[in-house]
Amino acid sequence: MRLHDSAPAVAAKRVLIVDDEKSLLVPLVHYFQRVGCVAVGAQEREEAEALLDHQEFDLIVVDLALSGYGLEGLDLIQTIRQRGRTTAVLVLSGLVTPEIEAESLRRGADAVLTKPQPLAEVVALANRLMRVTP
Amino acid sequence: MKGSLLDRVFAPDGISVRFQPVVEAGADGTFPWCYVEGLVSGPAGTNLASADVLFSYIRRKRETTRMDRACVAAVLAAGSTFPLDVVIGLNVNAATLTSDAGFADFLKSTAARHGLAGSRLIVEIVEHTLPTETRAFRDALTALRAAGVRVALDDVGCAYSNYRMILEACPDFFKVDRYFVTGAHADPLRMEVLRSIAALGQTFGARVVAEGVESEADLAAVRAAGIGLVQGFLVVRPLSRQALDDVRRAGTSAGVATAINKEKTRC
Repeated sequence: MRLHDSAPAVAAKRVLIVDDEKSLLVPLVHYFQRVGCVAVGAQEREEAEALLDHQEFDLIVVDLALSGYGLEGLDLIQTIRQRGRTTAVLVLSGLVTPEIEAESLRRGADAVLTKPQPLAEVVALANRLMRVTP
Repeated sequence: MKGSLLDRVFAPDGISVRFQPVVEAGADGTFPWCYVEGLVSGPAGTNLASADVLFSYIRRKRETTRMDRACVAAVLAAGSTFPLDVVIGLNVNAATLTSDAGFADFLKSTAARHGLAGSRLIVEIVEHTLPTETRAFRDALTALRAAGVRVALDDVGCAYSNYRMILEACPDFFKVDRYFVTGAHADPLRMEVLRSIAALGQTFGARVVAEGVESEADLAAVRAAGIGLVQGFLVVRPLSRQALDDVRRAGTSAGVATAINKEKTRC
């Protein structure tokens, strides 16, 4: 897959990426910015929620283990859905078991990917999710 | 990584301070200062550089009281070099006044350390979830008023800034939320709300401030409603301590910004 093939579809979309690992967060943010998205990164659940208090996003890419204690990402997904947001939510986590995947979807995630994952896969799925977001 | 962003907020240079004047809405084209409100933002280059995001984050971290103290300290330090006749507004959460028993003493001692008399301070009550412990809330306001500090109620007309809070706080200033100001010139119902708050302020012996005045038309509407003080980008946007000095000294900026620098008075 050539990444730039899908770039026009995501241009001008707003993307929030939530991951406590800066080494994973920064490349993703930069990628989405390069293809024309307004991409914002957050390393903490509260930081992401504070952004969501004041900004709208078309897509949220969320890690599940945000603080090293439990799966805060699941709570974040639930918070997003409890607010009635139709934002696409993509889970990207190294902790995905069948149970956790099921729980992520139950709480409102639209798709789940396991880390590590080629950037192309992440982006391809992100593009598909954003296309179907109203 | 846990707490690292929070640590940056509370680091010595984590909070930036700007000031935005509240001015007399003089019909003669002059805009004397009433006071300058201290506004804070979080660490540059982070999501918390936006004040809105900063305070949402702090609320979610349950650090509001600590943040209020940090903001007071930062604003008083930044404002300590204003001329003696400049009054400084400080935003404080109602919850802090209720739950932080030492807050009034903290504010007074910090102000004293910077050579700022209580009469030069206005506490603007924000995010005013109605205190369940009104006694503590009243006691805090009494302690501040005893030191000469005046009280403003922010966002009047919105959220928790209701009549009960107005009665509890008996504010010296009612700050009308921009929601009622923007577009008031073309909206008879908004005008009625503005007139109503102006009248209420008069009954309480309070000055009324219209926030978010960004057009000449809304400035005229605010005046017509009987509101005497305004704040907003039309007059002066929030500026650093130094930049505010520069604007005052230059006296050559376009439009209203020029006019406000002709004179400043205490309210």
